[in-house]
Amino acid sequence: MNKQEFYQRLAEILDTEEVKPEDTLKQLDGWDSLAVLSVLALADSKYGASIKADEIRAVVTAADLANLVESKKK
Amino acid sequence: MNFKFRGKRISGMAVVLPERELSFLEEMKNFNFPEARSLKLKEVMGYNKRRVVEPGCCVSDLAVHGLQQLFDRGLLKKEEIDAILLVTQTADHFMPSTSSLIQGRLGLKQDMLCLDLNLACAGFVIGLMQAFMLLEQESVKKVVLINGDVLSRKASPKDRNIYPLIGDAVSITVVERDASNATIHANLHMDGTRAETLIIPAGGMRMPSTPETAKLEDVGDNNLLAKDHVFMDGSAVFNFVQTEVPPMIESLLATAGTTVEHIDYFLCHQPNRFMLQKLADKMKIPYEKMPNNVVENYGNTGSATIPMVIALNFQERVQREKMRVCMAGFGGGLAWASMLMELGAMDFNTTIEYKQKS
Amino acid sequence: MKCVFKNKKISAVISVVPKEELRFDDEYPNYKLTEDKARRFKKMMSLDRHRIAPPEVCSSDLCQYGVEQLLAEGTIKKEEIGALLFISQTPDYFIPPTSNVLHGKLGLGLDVQCFDINQGCAGFPLGLMQAFMLLDLLPAGQKILLLNGDTCSKQLSNCNRISYPLAGDAGSVAIVERCAEENPIYMDVKHDGSRHTALMVPAGAYRMPSSPETMKLREKEEGVVQSLEHIHMDGPAVFNFTMSDIPAQIEDVLKFSGNTWESIQHYLLHQPNPFILKQMTEKMKLPPEKLPSNVVSIYGNCSSVSIPLNIALNCGDILLKESRRVLLSGFGTGLTWISMVMDLGPLQVCKIVDYQAAAK
Repeated sequence: MNKQEFYQRLAEILDTEEVKPEDTLKQLDGWDSLAVLSVLALADSKYGASIKADEIRAVVTAADLANLVESKKK
Repeated sequence: MNFKFRGKRISGMAVVLPERELSFLEEMKNFNFPEARSLKLKEVMGYNKRRVVEPGCCVSDLAVHGLQQLFDRGLLKKEEIDAILLVTQTADHFMPSTSSLIQGRLGLKQDMLCLDLNLACAGFVIGLMQAFMLLEQESVKKVVLINGDVLSRKASPKDRNIYPLIGDAVSITVVERDASNATIHANLHMDGTRAETLIIPAGGMRMPSTPETAKLEDVGDNNLLAKDHVFMDGSAVFNFVQTEVPPMIESLLATAGTTVEHIDYFLCHQPNRFMLQKLADKMKIPYEKMPNNVVENYGNTGSATIPMVIALNFQERVQREKMRVCMAGFGGGLAWASMLMELGAMDFNTTIEYKQKS
Repeated sequence: MKCVFKNKKISAVISVVPKEELRFDDEYPNYKLTEDKARRFKKMMSLDRHRIAPPEVCSSDLCQYGVEQLLAEGTIKKEEIGALLFISQTPDYFIPPTSNVLHGKLGLGLDVQCFDINQGCAGFPLGLMQAFMLLDLLPAGQKILLLNGDTCSKQLSNCNRISYPLAGDAGSVAIVERCAEENPIYMDVKHDGSRHTALMVPAGAYRMPSSPETMKLREKEEGVVQSLEHIHMDGPAVFNFTMSDIPAQIEDVLKFSGNTWESIQHYLLHQPNPFILKQMTEKMKLPPEKLPSNVVSIYGNCSSVSIPLNIALNCGDILLKESRRVLLSGFGTGLTWISMVMDLGPLQVCKIVDYQAAAK
């Protein structure tokens, strides 16, 4: 999985310039339940990854999220 | 409206009773009513003891416990249940339906129907009709009809019209197809112009609950109720029963081409002893044919009273033999329904006690 | 549970919405949203406007108005009504059933049966199932009024920035009757109560009765204000539900009914929001024109009335003249999901009207 591309897409969802792997998601301005929904949709449509509710709630950093999507990627 | 059904049977029944028992003699001290008059009321209405749930206990708790007992005893198999029909007026939540909750808690299959119907004391007979209807679908072989309420939780302790009367219980009735193809006759009427005869004014969307609706008000004759409590117009109900129920049963018997003499038992909803005695008198049905002992043992358990009548009076017999019965449910809505069928021999008929875990 | 019905049809559908149209652009300051965040939210969910009932108007009022319109226009006669079904999760009372109250208000006969069924977004196909089954018990010529109605706005805070903008109140009335044509209807019903926390109202009924405590507003996350008497939604759980269970059921029903993805002319789904619907459309590889997703932008998410609104808004004109092969799918609280295939139309009536309160 191209992680750079993933972080770029995540930045678009959060309406921000850039997302770094070490960024804590909860501290990012745009990270709310709508962003979560957009990420789930992104994971499903672009990566074929189906992520469970408790899995996404457990991620802390952007890198965690990228790794989760990669692990579920078809 | 008349109906005919064929090829259906009740294969098993259970009633689930909460452990807590209240005694009228203890409770009458709470009423603003002279003791002598309370005792007279006890005699007439059949008040004696009743079962009520603990605070926080819901219909799904009783139903889940009862069904789990049936699974554990090998009387019912989880995977065979194709539909749960829950007839209740005291649902766990506005959303989701309580039958879905029961399905989830018991781990039943996804490929089934869960249906909540809001029906009062006519709800056992109407529930049976619904079950029969569902069994016409090829994929539906076994329907579990659950009737039950925890209405004691909405009765005002200062209302002696209703408080000493209400009992909580859940009944479980397994309905399946029957090879014998015997005819079942039924009829049903409804009158919404008298819907407010039995009502909880607040709590729904028409009048949401507020601190105001919890305040007790004097509704006459020294009875105190809040808008959050259940209100029953006793004399309106009595007049309704005396006027509408006899013609309903007469019409049912006539349609089926039979008479009172050919019916083994009349299994009626049990509003209170007085009302049922008057009904038997009016229809000239001997008291032995119309059991009238549910209220004095368990209280008025809403749409579960007919299953209670069976469990209390015929539990052994109905597992051994057939009985030709006329069932009649009548009450809130207003709704009144009756059904003529052969009952038994059932695979099981059992009484299950529910002890609330703290 | 699979069902097949024959010789049944829907002959008319009328949807009733509150008269006042509320626009997102006017409301967003209530939600503590900056203009920028509001713009993004509006774009993501294609928000525009919705209809909210005034406090004194219940879903039964909206449905009653629909029935009165059909009677007044002569689409149905009172004596033809054999049963009235009221499907809702926002009833007038705990007791008596709302269908009985309507029975009284409409002056229906003693032979008319009434049923209150508790169901949300799957409530239109569920109600159809009940109506189709009941018709086999009724004498020839008798018809059934299927009423769907919810006022979910009463179960939300108007400061809830995620849910309130999407909420819509509405009622619908469908006339369901027998027909000479076989017109087979195929339906699949599924439930999963183990996931009920995904969409529920925790307090207000018997599990947790109403109290000052349950009425207190709490902030779940910034701008998401709710009490225990409000609708609680687990977004990710609902998303996963819509993306996996519904497409699987739709595929199953297509096979069961002997159809292909192409043979269905219209996919008329419950409308939770356009974002999820677009995801589902992509997942099922359907052309967007076949799966409308525009109801929320105009009326909000109207629970089980979404499908009747969808039908009228997107196929109303066609269905007044011709028959179309449609797939209807309702899904939501329970969790419950029900999909069905049928030939719909031509309909005598297929429209959306504004609610007019009766003159006092």
